[in-house]
Amino acid sequence: MDQSLFIVGINHRSAPVRVRERLAYSDGDISAALKRLREAAPAISEAALLSTCNRVEVIGVATDAEKAADSTIAFLASDRDVDAATFADAIYRYAGLDGARHLFRVGASLDSMVLGEPQILGQLKTTYSLAAEAATVGPVLHRAFHKAFSVAKRVRKSTLIGHGSVSVSSAAVKLARQIFDKLGDKTVMLMGAGKMAELTARHLKAIGIQSLLIASRTFDRAVVLARDLGGTAVPFDSYRPYLKMTDVLIGSLSVAKPILGPNDFETVVKERRYRPMFLIDLGVPRNFDERLNAMENVYLYDIDDLGAVVMQTRDAREREAEKAEQIVTIELESFARWLAGLDLVPTIKDIRYSIDRLRDEELERNRGWLSALPPAERERVELMTRSLTNKLMHRILSGLRRTGDGAPDSAAAADLARQLLIDDLAAGHDEIDGADDNDPEDDLD
Amino acid sequence: MRPVFQTLILICYGLSAIFFTADRLRPASRFVNFGVIALAAGAVLHAFGLAAIGIESGNFPVADFGEALSFLAWLTALAGLVMIVRSRMAVVGVFLAPAVTVAFAAASILRFQQLEQSRIVLPETLRSVWLPIHVTLAILGYALFVLAASVSVVYLAYERRLKGKRALAPLEEGRPSLEKLDRINYQLLGWGFAMLSLAIITGAIWADATWGHFWSWEPVESWSLVIWILYAALIESRLTVGWRGRRAAALTIVVFTVLVGSFIGVNLMYPGKHGGNFG
Repeated sequence: MDQSLFIVGINHRSAPVRVRERLAYSDGDISAALKRLREAAPAISEAALLSTCNRVEVIGVATDAEKAADSTIAFLASDRDVDAATFADAIYRYAGLDGARHLFRVGASLDSMVLGEPQILGQLKTTYSLAAEAATVGPVLHRAFHKAFSVAKRVRKSTLIGHGSVSVSSAAVKLARQIFDKLGDKTVMLMGAGKMAELTARHLKAIGIQSLLIASRTFDRAVVLARDLGGTAVPFDSYRPYLKMTDVLIGSLSVAKPILGPNDFETVVKERRYRPMFLIDLGVPRNFDERLNAMENVYLYDIDDLGAVVMQTRDAREREAEKAEQIVTIELESFARWLAGLDLVPTIKDIRYSIDRLRDEELERNRGWLSALPPAERERVELMTRSLTNKLMHRILSGLRRTGDGAPDSAAAADLARQLLIDDLAAGHDEIDGADDNDPEDDLD
Repeated sequence: MRPVFQTLILICYGLSAIFFTADRLRPASRFVNFGVIALAAGAVLHAFGLAAIGIESGNFPVADFGEALSFLAWLTALAGLVMIVRSRMAVVGVFLAPAVTVAFAAASILRFQQLEQSRIVLPETLRSVWLPIHVTLAILGYALFVLAASVSVVYLAYERRLKGKRALAPLEEGRPSLEKLDRINYQLLGWGFAMLSLAIITGAIWADATWGHFWSWEPVESWSLVIWILYAALIESRLTVGWRGRRAAALTIVVFTVLVGSFIGVNLMYPGKHGGNFG
């Protein structure tokens, strides 16, 4: 009985979107698809299906990983009605611990298009729940996924992989925070209502900017946007008086040459009594003269400057990724130990859960007459059932421990115990979110 | 203070300097907490040390320049701790902790030299309730100016990077904004100025009570007045023309260097009525 993890999939690196979209599943279809996969390939004992914009992957468990991968690919082709030849080159496969490593790396956002982006963990949790719903999760996937969740959390906690700005608008917002302390009393003015300017304004609103002015060449557009964002439209030919109350000025006009330069700001800066101003120039050609950056307490960032900030973030995240890879490697070792049956703690925990559940179900079934008993007797019944499960547990434990601890047949014994005693893991016993809070391996490491 | 005790304090301050610096180099770490703990430990031990000197000599522990410097280091550490914890300005520790360490080390050396000679006995005229009040106000004022200068150095460094578009090293999120640094600089200047003003007033009252005149134009007094005027001008420029941000930070540092120069120069060269002691 050598159960092996396997993964087949395509992602943003291996296939373009026109291929990925043809294999993609919506969350609503996944449970049914997993059931179909089990029927089509009974040799696959456990399976989960991850489908996001950037990847489609089947994570499964089978005795023969190679064969299982082949039948999974065949299944995907027929289930999605795609000629297997169209995506054959884009498919990657992993088996055994390589599969686990891939799963951990995906969860830790090391395989993401934007390194360190946080959504993937949530998507992985959904994947697990949907597979649990379809009852295609067994002990190996259960452990592998929960391990992946705790790896992801550990990476996020102990590296800076999630720091920095990965988009121009979020870079602009972070810069605003470096300049201003309280955003509630600041005023933002949009000049021109370009898409990126709008996005930046939305971001700024979200972090507490109250006052928003919008000056657009087409006043109607300004009015619509002002209503949408909760701001005030300003006629384009009379925006100048508002400059002195503006703390963040975002330009996205299409102009032949800069419309605002040092001369325009000479008096503005003095009237503002040198309070800092942040100018964000999203226009190409640029809206603001670059010499403005030299003025006292005026900070001008154009589209390239913001782009450079984004690049810095990418570089920094790549450096952090190396640390994250080390974490993955360490955690992979502990997963391998479990897989080899050397680490009994998770198995014991799962068995304890299964048995406790049996007891709970039994008590629940008999609740009617139990509740009619006087409290003292009801307590005795409960104590009796508890001592019964404890004694049963004790026997199983000492049996496992005898074969365990490095004995050659320990893996087989653990595997047998799992098969005999754990039948309802699909329900997923611990809260997924709290997965690493009570991860028994953490206590051992 | 016994040498062992003095060394212990120096180690605490030194460690805090190392931790605060390490925190800048490895931002994801928790070194900053160790820095705060080491600085606090140093300040507590230092407080005992100062008390011991006071009890031993029977007067407020500012009898000579070394003691005054030690007292300044202690008040700076104390005020710095309050600022770092209350305003979350750990970054200032990078400048503050080394400054405190150096000041304390210098004070210790001066003290050893002093002990080789004879103990300074305060003249009868200076043994007065005015001594602790006047000196504490003056030195607290200086401590706040040390903090203001540290905050200004941080301001200039940050502003340089923002202007240079090297701003957002992703590892440094959560550092104080320019606006916050500027505001805290202003508050420190305001409080420091208030302390210095009160120190001058109490000094004048005390002088009048002891010698019959408020002011005698000795170097300590003249330089205090110069410094008082400079800080007044600094605060005035913000209130009237709105000089803030970069310019305010640069001027804070300029005025502070004048302060340091006069503090050291006057104390070492013109020991007047203040007894070699910049009160």
